[in-house]
Amino acid sequence: MKLILSTSNLLDAGSSIRRDPTQKSNAELVSSFRANFAAHSHPSNGYTNGLGNGNKPTPRSSYTAWTHMAEDGRQELEIPKLDFEHSALQEEREQYDITVKLFYLPGAPTENRETQTREAVKLVMKELHMPSIDLLIISFPGIYFDEEEDCPDKISTRGPVEADPESLECQIKTWKTLEALHEERVVKKLGIAEFGHDRLVQFLEKTTVRPSVDQVNLRDCCSVPKKLLLLAKSKGIELLVHNDSSNVLPRGTLRELLGPEHAGAGVLAEPTRTGEKRKSMHGEEVKNGHADGEGLKGEVQPLWVVKYTAVVKNRGVVENKGYFAVAELSG
Amino acid sequence: MGLLAVGTPLEWPEAKKSASHVRSWGIEQLLALWRKAKGKERDALLWGDEVEYLVVSFDDAEREVKLSLRQADILEALASDSELIRQGGGVPDLATGEHKGGRPAPMFHPEFGRFMLEATPGKPWGIGFNDLLDVERDMKLRRKIAKEHMDPSEFPITLTTFPLLGDRKSITPFYPPSGSKLRSQFVPDEIANPHIRFPTLAANIRARRGRKVELNVPVFRDTKTTWPFKDPTVDYHLHKWPEDQDVRNGAAKDNHIYMDAMAFGMGSCCLQITFQAMNIEEGRKMYDQLSPLGPILLALTAATPIYKGFLADTDVRWNQISRAVDDRTPEELGEVPLKHDRWRIPKSRYASNSTYISQDPRLRREYLDPDLVVDEELKARLVDGGMDDRLATHFAHLFIRDPIVIFAEDLQELDLEKSDHFENLQSTNWQHMRFKPPPPGNDTGWRVEVRPMEIQITDFENAAFSVFVVLITRAILSFDLNFYLPIPRTTENMETAHSRDAVLNDQFYFRKDPLPPPQTRVNGLSSTPGSGANTPRSRGPSRPSTPTGPVEDEYELMTINEIINGKADGGFPGLMPLVESYLDSVNVDVETRCELAQYLDLIKGRASGKLWTAAKWIRRYVAEHKEYKHDSVVGDGLVYDLVKAAERITVNEGRDGYAKEMLGECREQA
Repeated sequence: MKLILSTSNLLDAGSSIRRDPTQKSNAELVSSFRANFAAHSHPSNGYTNGLGNGNKPTPRSSYTAWTHMAEDGRQELEIPKLDFEHSALQEEREQYDITVKLFYLPGAPTENRETQTREAVKLVMKELHMPSIDLLIISFPGIYFDEEEDCPDKISTRGPVEADPESLECQIKTWKTLEALHEERVVKKLGIAEFGHDRLVQFLEKTTVRPSVDQVNLRDCCSVPKKLLLLAKSKGIELLVHNDSSNVLPRGTLRELLGPEHAGAGVLAEPTRTGEKRKSMHGEEVKNGHADGEGLKGEVQPLWVVKYTAVVKNRGVVENKGYFAVAELSG
Repeated sequence: MGLLAVGTPLEWPEAKKSASHVRSWGIEQLLALWRKAKGKERDALLWGDEVEYLVVSFDDAEREVKLSLRQADILEALASDSELIRQGGGVPDLATGEHKGGRPAPMFHPEFGRFMLEATPGKPWGIGFNDLLDVERDMKLRRKIAKEHMDPSEFPITLTTFPLLGDRKSITPFYPPSGSKLRSQFVPDEIANPHIRFPTLAANIRARRGRKVELNVPVFRDTKTTWPFKDPTVDYHLHKWPEDQDVRNGAAKDNHIYMDAMAFGMGSCCLQITFQAMNIEEGRKMYDQLSPLGPILLALTAATPIYKGFLADTDVRWNQISRAVDDRTPEELGEVPLKHDRWRIPKSRYASNSTYISQDPRLRREYLDPDLVVDEELKARLVDGGMDDRLATHFAHLFIRDPIVIFAEDLQELDLEKSDHFENLQSTNWQHMRFKPPPPGNDTGWRVEVRPMEIQITDFENAAFSVFVVLITRAILSFDLNFYLPIPRTTENMETAHSRDAVLNDQFYFRKDPLPPPQTRVNGLSSTPGSGANTPRSRGPSRPSTPTGPVEDEYELMTINEIINGKADGGFPGLMPLVESYLDSVNVDVETRCELAQYLDLIKGRASGKLWTAAKWIRRYVAEHKEYKHDSVVGDGLVYDLVKAAERITVNEGRDGYAKEMLGECREQA
């Protein structure tokens, strides 16, 4: 079964604030999914106070009440139910700079990238009610720009390497899909993330439509290698800064988000492999309103995450920002 | 700007008679402006900074530094620089000629003090991140151009105040004090810009007040300061003007540095930023949201520890300016019962602001100033004219004052295409925020001016604070932040910001949670749609509007470090993390991000104490100077060295290793 997770406009919930520079930088994604699930699964909670920390354990409705299973028989579950009615941007297309970043996640099969990419872009365009986007950046698993960088302090804040980079051939194959989207004028500019000098040189040789952007994570270390700066300048590639972690949605994080425990959304049941009955010592089943046996079972594999931002160009105001994530649940 | 309009200014008793006349015409002009522009929409973010300089003149042989009163000559030189004019710069008030293409060169303006100069960018900045990096370059260019039009011994310095102002000798050319306009025993009338507007302003404030203005700054008590401290420079035996009686009536207070003229306040240099909002509602929202930040910005930029050759016990200029233009009568001040005047007025014309003006549903009645004085008649006229109660209250509050400078010629006929009468009141209300309607006759939009910051010694710092404020406004709009605080708390914060090293030692009232509350939806629909109809960015269904619970629970005392860098316990997120989250949400190139990081690091460092304010640095400089006797007296030779040091810092910005305590290491890379 395919799971489609969404945040809605996370600016509405104040969850995009980087509270602590040392915290994991996928905190925004995790907290905004959590906030959106909570907003949909606690209909009775209502508005409590202006202090924003009201994560009180009020009774939660069953996931079936606020998620949505595709009606045409496709095995596709929207968490929460997708609703594009109120998500449209306020002004005309040309007022905005719309950036979309697509993370292909480690461990996900690479064959379906074309479908996935098109699906991701389509979801964002539907959400924003816009016919095209300005910049599509793709992030391949296992690539770390700072390998080539002279900044020893940084490696320690990066976190573990969770995947090996895939082959250049594989990346180029994916890139062809982006080139097609560019051709179709759905996407104005293309970009890649975390490419260092050597990788970028090799990549450029094989592309028809060149990336306009290479997005790198500086993590407060402003020492971009000269080689890369020069290459980027000579090829007209803009080096942009990002602050995303390389694996934005590890499997364990996703399971936690959707699981039955207190902070989870109650979509997934306890992992079956534990073979134990759920502990009731905290009485959480009761509080969470889960009957035994509710919740989907199976192994969950995150496939991709897409992040989108719409900025009003001449005012520098971010009007909409959010994420979609898609995962495969196999029984 | 109309600042230098010519005419016959009315002396005080005459001007007073026309005050109501000017006010009612001003209100009509305001209504005309408001009607024309209230529907103005989708204006871009444009913004501008204003930097003010003191022009000092060094005599290296004698180890002397004096204020140069050659503003008019310098402006004349700038105004007649054909190359500057060709590039679109110059002096708008004296300007001749046209420019073509490119980014226009900077512009220069006269200021109240005849030793001052103001410079602005040739055209407003946008939000393009490259623009943000041009700010510092442009500031450096401004200083360079200014310097080029001065004598070789002169330098445009960005200290807030000249440490020897009022010592009866450190001005060049020399004029004796005790002139007919200012009647100051310390400074001559010639200290003010000679344009008739300025001496009239000073004279009429004095006349309205019924005595000279009175500035008593607490003196810093050092180990060898005579105590009680009686300002030794006060002359009690002058009998030239009736106002000479002031000091014999106790105007000079014990343990205070005493000053008696507008020049001691309005001769201070500030860093001001003006933003254009997308429409009137966004402007009103920005005005409200930036207001509680005022005292924080003031404490962070503290740079004023010396007055008239003595160390003060305060770090900022604000209250001195406030007193320097305080035209309130004894009745208005509450010193004697009300008899002739209309009301008691709690604040000077120059003070922290007293109104919130947004129609934001988050604005609770309890936040408003309970002591607000409003001219109900003028308010009724505005409301009759269609203006909503809240905005009408704001302007009817500003209009409780008398116009100070009135030109006889302007009283002939009401011109609704102009804004002169409106501006007469509006621009002599010097509050820490100013809400500015679009001027007649061009396409400028609604604007908000941020006025509390002290000028910094280097262009790097001035650019850093300017850019920081710009980024904060973008974060406020993007994240829909809420900094609402009851206005009396902001007033108190403004006082707190005065104490020595308030940035490190004091606590300020601040809202605990600036973030929007989580949204609750019922099956995908917001539970209370539509409440945000009045907010500038109503994105889809908006959040509920009526927070409950006591207002006192919404805020608490925080250090500036907590306000800027966030609370360690994860409570208040911190203005800097909010700005950084904003930067994470937009596309910024690496070079820009790294340069911005230097600016943000400066402000983080000032807040945490890692870097010093100019006030702290100057105090340390004085304390360690060989001529300082720990008696609070800052002598001529010391001041010469100090201003020389400031010049060195301006030129090198710490690259020579000097004043790193203030600027940090970052500038070494530049």
